[in-house]
Amino acid sequence: MIGEKTIANIGGGAVSIAQHVGGIVVLTGQVLRALIPPRIDGRELVKNLHKMGNRSVPIVALTALFAGGLMMLQSGPFVKKLGATGLAGWAAGYAVLREIGPILIALMFSGRVGANNTAELSTMTVTEQLDGLRALAIDPVKFLVVPRVIAMMVMLVALTVIGDLVALVGATVVGSALLEIDASTMYHSFADNLKPYDFLHGISKSVAFGAAIAMSSCYFGVTVRGGAVGVGRAVNAAVVAAAVSIMLLDFFITYLAG
Amino acid sequence: MTATIRIVGVHKRYGARRVLEDVSLEVGQGKRLGLIGPAASGKSVLCKLVCGLEAPDRGTVEVLGQPIVGKREVELGDLRRRIGMLFQNYALFDFLTVEQNVAFPLEQRGGMTAEEIAVRVAERLRAVGLAGSEHKLTGELSGGMKKRVGIARATVADAELVIYDEPSAGLDPVTTQKIYDLLAADQVRTGASVLAVSSDVVALAKFVDEIAFLYRGQIVYRGPAATIADAESALVRQFVRGELEGPLDQGPAKTADDGPTRSPESRR
Repeated sequence: MIGEKTIANIGGGAVSIAQHVGGIVVLTGQVLRALIPPRIDGRELVKNLHKMGNRSVPIVALTALFAGGLMMLQSGPFVKKLGATGLAGWAAGYAVLREIGPILIALMFSGRVGANNTAELSTMTVTEQLDGLRALAIDPVKFLVVPRVIAMMVMLVALTVIGDLVALVGATVVGSALLEIDASTMYHSFADNLKPYDFLHGISKSVAFGAAIAMSSCYFGVTVRGGAVGVGRAVNAAVVAAAVSIMLLDFFITYLAG
Repeated sequence: MTATIRIVGVHKRYGARRVLEDVSLEVGQGKRLGLIGPAASGKSVLCKLVCGLEAPDRGTVEVLGQPIVGKREVELGDLRRRIGMLFQNYALFDFLTVEQNVAFPLEQRGGMTAEEIAVRVAERLRAVGLAGSEHKLTGELSGGMKKRVGIARATVADAELVIYDEPSAGLDPVTTQKIYDLLAADQVRTGASVLAVSSDVVALAKFVDEIAFLYRGQIVYRGPAATIADAESALVRQFVRGELEGPLDQGPAKTADDGPTRSPESRR
């Protein structure tokens, strides 16, 4: 039988989740309001675009290269067995563009950029830097959160585009090196079977994932309490929230968009 | 006399912990008021209330002639540009250099050229003894240096009201005296009103006109700074002289279940 304590824990957990979701919605509203009129600190935006995007290219490219290769390794032997090598590129490309590319890159981005963003913002919060900004009549949401949200959303899309291309290269390399499917067959398989919609489907996911990572990492950063321990907890919560959001969004976007 | 700060009947609590209870306080225009009290007696919270960074649960706060309770952040912008604040933990922006930190209020306020800002920042950094540290990041500074950067930032815009939360914490006695001399000279030059919180009562008493004693969330004494060591209140005398024996109770803060706070003297 479920005890009172268990029920209280479940209820407490549900209330806590509702509070966080509500907090993220409120922060999202503040971000949107801060964009009207769109006056963004250019220096902060450029700094964040560089830090979050450019510096993530190597790790994203590496991940995508192996993800593409892996898709080829999984699907290649079957299409060869069925004598349908012309579909090998399609099988790998379809999975990469619509699913594996956006989701893997988003999770990598969340771990690298989202966690770093939460750590930075929460450290600024516990050292009263946000209060310092407010004391100087500067809105921390406008000055710190908005450029980070824009940078994360823009850069996750850009990284997904790069990642998709690298993953297709990875699939081609593995196909020709390990499965004896030559590069031109792979190229024609991609070109003939993959549609622009497959690519756009993945990109639409990365826009949603970028928003989820940005909002959760900023929310847990600016609402942190309790010094260094609080910073650790905030980073942990932000990464978990982003991962759960990515999975949920992926399911619903796939379900609704087909 | 016009009051720069007028706090009336302010209450503030965090959860069950009562931080301020029915606090009323005034700082006249061009006057310097010192605020002392044991640790966790609500001094920093009071400073933040004046700047609108915290909102009271009850009571009114008027700053530079404007009521600030219940106002939205955006409505407090113009008022905050007229206030300079030194935070207890510096609150320096770690993504900016020393020079950029000090220049920040002037850049955000606008109305000055880059050259004018550079000259003003250099003058402030010289005044606090940090010439040559312009390009350092705040992470490279000692606690005392950070405090001096905070003072330079709080005073760079010649605000009408300046709030100093522990301006001498982390500074050696000679630097403390230099800093207080600088703050006094600045105040005379600008005519600003000052609210200063400090644990260094001796140095503070030389700087301010009056001192108020905040104890367990209440102002229990206010009197001339020059005679603070001989105040009528045994509580204040014990605190200022650092005596172990006396009515001062440095125990944990009151909670909502403890009933109204009364000073030990009023209990007798």
